[in-house]
Amino acid sequence: MKLLRFPPALTPPGLRRLGLADVAVLCLLGGAIATVVAFAREFEAPFSQAVAIDLRFTALPRYTLYSLSRGVLALLISYLFALSFGWAAAKSRAAERLLLPLLDILQSIPVLGFLPGLVLGLMSLFPTRNVGLELAAILMIFTAQAWNLALSFYNSLKSLPAPLRDACKVAGWKASRTFWQLEVPAAAQGLVWNGMLSMAGGWFFLMVNEAFRLGDHDYRLPGIGSYMSVALDQGNATAVLLAIFAMVLMIVCLDQLLWRPLVVWVEKFRLDDTTGGGPAPGSWVLEFLRRARLPRRAALLQRRAYRSARRAARPLERPFRAVGPVIWRAPRFALDHPVARRLGAGLVIAAVGAVALVGARSLWLLLAQLGTREWGALVSSAALTFVRVMGAVVVSTAWAVPAGVWIGRSPRLARALQPVIQVVASFPAPMLFPLVILLFERIGVGLGFGAVALMVLAGQWYILFNVISAVAAIPEQLKDAATVFRLPPLARWRALYLPAAFPALVTGWVTAAGGAWNGSIVAEYIEAGGTLRTTKGLGSLISEATAHANFPLLAGGIALMSLIVVGWNRLVWRSLMQWAQARFSLAA
Amino acid sequence: MTSGTLLLEARQVTQRFRLPNGQVLEALRDVSLSVCEHEVVALVGPSGCGKSTLLRLFAGLARPVDGAVLYRGQPLEGVLAAAAMVFQSFALLPWLTVAENVAMGLEARGVDGPARRDAVARAINLVGLDGFEQAYPKELSGGMKQRVGFARALAVAPEILLMDEPFGALDPLTAENLRSQVVDLWRDPATGVNTLVVVTHSVEEAVFLAGRIVVFGSNPGHVREELENALPYPRQERSPEFEDMVDRLHAILTATLLPEPVPTAPQRLVPFPRVHVSEVTGLLDHLLTRPGGKGPVFELAEDLGVDYDRMSAVVRAAEQLGWVTTPGEVVQLMPAGREVMAMDDAARKDATRARLAKQPLFARVVAMLKESEGAVEDEEVLADLTIYFPFIPADSLFGTIVEWGRYAELLDHDADAGRLSLLGLPEGSAETRGEA
Repeated sequence: MKLLRFPPALTPPGLRRLGLADVAVLCLLGGAIATVVAFAREFEAPFSQAVAIDLRFTALPRYTLYSLSRGVLALLISYLFALSFGWAAAKSRAAERLLLPLLDILQSIPVLGFLPGLVLGLMSLFPTRNVGLELAAILMIFTAQAWNLALSFYNSLKSLPAPLRDACKVAGWKASRTFWQLEVPAAAQGLVWNGMLSMAGGWFFLMVNEAFRLGDHDYRLPGIGSYMSVALDQGNATAVLLAIFAMVLMIVCLDQLLWRPLVVWVEKFRLDDTTGGGPAPGSWVLEFLRRARLPRRAALLQRRAYRSARRAARPLERPFRAVGPVIWRAPRFALDHPVARRLGAGLVIAAVGAVALVGARSLWLLLAQLGTREWGALVSSAALTFVRVMGAVVVSTAWAVPAGVWIGRSPRLARALQPVIQVVASFPAPMLFPLVILLFERIGVGLGFGAVALMVLAGQWYILFNVISAVAAIPEQLKDAATVFRLPPLARWRALYLPAAFPALVTGWVTAAGGAWNGSIVAEYIEAGGTLRTTKGLGSLISEATAHANFPLLAGGIALMSLIVVGWNRLVWRSLMQWAQARFSLAA
Repeated sequence: MTSGTLLLEARQVTQRFRLPNGQVLEALRDVSLSVCEHEVVALVGPSGCGKSTLLRLFAGLARPVDGAVLYRGQPLEGVLAAAAMVFQSFALLPWLTVAENVAMGLEARGVDGPARRDAVARAINLVGLDGFEQAYPKELSGGMKQRVGFARALAVAPEILLMDEPFGALDPLTAENLRSQVVDLWRDPATGVNTLVVVTHSVEEAVFLAGRIVVFGSNPGHVREELENALPYPRQERSPEFEDMVDRLHAILTATLLPEPVPTAPQRLVPFPRVHVSEVTGLLDHLLTRPGGKGPVFELAEDLGVDYDRMSAVVRAAEQLGWVTTPGEVVQLMPAGREVMAMDDAARKDATRARLAKQPLFARVVAMLKESEGAVEDEEVLADLTIYFPFIPADSLFGTIVEWGRYAELLDHDADAGRLSLLGLPEGSAETRGEA
């Protein structure tokens, strides 16, 4: 018989061959463990209103790590949610019909308005510990992160090539194995890129999540957001600058230590053979880690441990194998039998319907308390905020489209500026609001117009990013054709760049307008330097209702804003998007 | 002359699909086919005849709407464990190495530990991929990838190997090489594979591989004819017996693809083949260069570098326009076809318009347009097409109508408004065109 060749077994590397990379890995591991322990202790701490925030800069690292832990924890929950939600929506037509519209609504409504209800609910669950408040903050971050992840996973499940699925079925893979080895890897790229965006989105309401007033209660959690808001309250300029610096540092570190390496690593899970053109992105951290021997050694140890664990468990396996099928029989019967399945689906639908009914009833009861005068105020404020949102979209478009085309035209420029813009865009704009407003007051611009500028800060990046990537994706030959036929610059914009960027621009508008609506809640109602500034609008109405614990008005404001955003998405953005896709899509 | 025991059987199978636009297509109707042990069965036929659908039914990847699929007399439940499958697009997981891809089916069959490593090594060795165990699929050429596909199938030592156009995505040289290796693998008792079912688009491939060739017809998919192929293995592609067999299969396929005109009611609608204007003029151009202006359809396909399925569609279009006839397997240029090729562009358009106006489908669309004062919504035409031709995707047929109508300056289409309108009247005279 021919001598068969095997892959070379991993030789366990000796400990003395550990290098600098291994030391770094150990340090990171130690730091992570210490952070988790400290954060857990914070969780466990007895509840006290308005924790005193230490404004000395030595306290800042601890606060930054607390906030980071909240963001990371929320991201993990978001990933769990996205995987289960996307899977359910992709596998069951009934679930798809229910979940997709729900997702569409959830991702376009102002989640910040739900903070008071969430806090009160969780506080009553854990009245003595910090857990309730912490969970509320984490869930609020989660609501800013989860939806695009779920949508991304659902989309990649739906676009998975059929032969790959068939191959796994023919190989006899179980559903769980297909999930982890086909479906999740195929979605990995989308999950990582969207995770990066989600993380940035999660920081947006950091300040509000960590420090807010509800009626006469002042809730505060130790973190960089509350540090910032206390520093602003006290007018401590050094502390404000320090907080901004710490935030930027955290974002840069996250980008370099977590997202860059992940982005490079998931290149491996690309389904199509074609690379995106140009050199693949690199990550010095990933290169560094690949040199480390510890992870490989850990993998080897883990494999050995797994093998010995299985060996140890073997005596137990036989009885389980005998019992297992019996245990599984009931759920399998329920899934396979048409009557049982219909019954289960009916129960689920009934439960969902009941929850929806109860929710609608309690909302109705709240709204019924509002008089005509309040409704009038709501509608007129909504009109004002609507004008501001559209103004913000127009201003953002006016600068971001030329800038985006200019950057996207040159691959070199795009590659150089991409990471910079990414970091700048991840910075939570509301942290800058008080500074910007103070600046505006100097030059004599009131909050009525100033709020538009703040909303621009909240939404502009989506437009810029989308335009850059759309222009960068224009086929080289089209640009060559424009050059060969000597299209004058103006004609080149009109005939090539603007139409090619238009579908992406519409997508950018949708997200930018959403960001502006959300931003209005913090942009129209600002505390800076110890004084409160407000301007009439739906956002300030919602913030004020929160501050005075006026729940009927809060419910009315949130409901109205949700209605406007969802309605506008359905009626205007969607048809505009369809038209743009049909008319200007580069794909033939 | 099937000798072995009955392995796979499809009994009066019917399968339907719902297209994204809501149209329901019948892929197979009332198909019965059996596969015995030690057989190599090839399924051939035009695209859309349901041969791949039948293969997926055999694999247990789908359930028929009607009828039954049996393995050794028992109805199939779930995926057929006795079978492995090779895909046209390879279907390798890009994030797994060659060895890991090959091992995909082993775990479910309870092959573990050293036995799994042995099976993987043996399968890799069989297809000649030694040394590539740790490579990722994206590092391999198409032929190498399909070798991995075969190794993955062989690793589980399947009783039946199902192949869906396994050489369709490979270049001719690589395909030829792999094809003869497949025959060797089948004849080699060590592999355990003794029954093959292969879906193919190539006549030569079917004759080279199969002991029995099943010819499918389309709209909806059904079995037209079965052909025994008793040539001894290994087969010589240039031998007269082989050529003979290829010719016989050509004849059967031509009868399927270019049926002799049957006298039908004059009002009956015939779908226009979904081909481009340039393809038909290309065919006429090519026929002009041939002695006598004629040639067998399979030779034409080879000369022009298209597959016979496409070629016959082009021929049918030219025939409906009255530019060629098809006595038997031969395509013959008609005087009208010669004339149209001699014309200048404008005259050729006029001639095409006159011909199209006589084609029943175009005549119906034109009549529809006249009734509604020269313009009709796309949806209305699409609904009409779906009713008349339930087996043809309506939007693609609509696209063909628009292309030919535009070329002949008979119809115009406004994509933004989604409206079809009438340009010149089918009388085709210049005065209706409003041109000098």
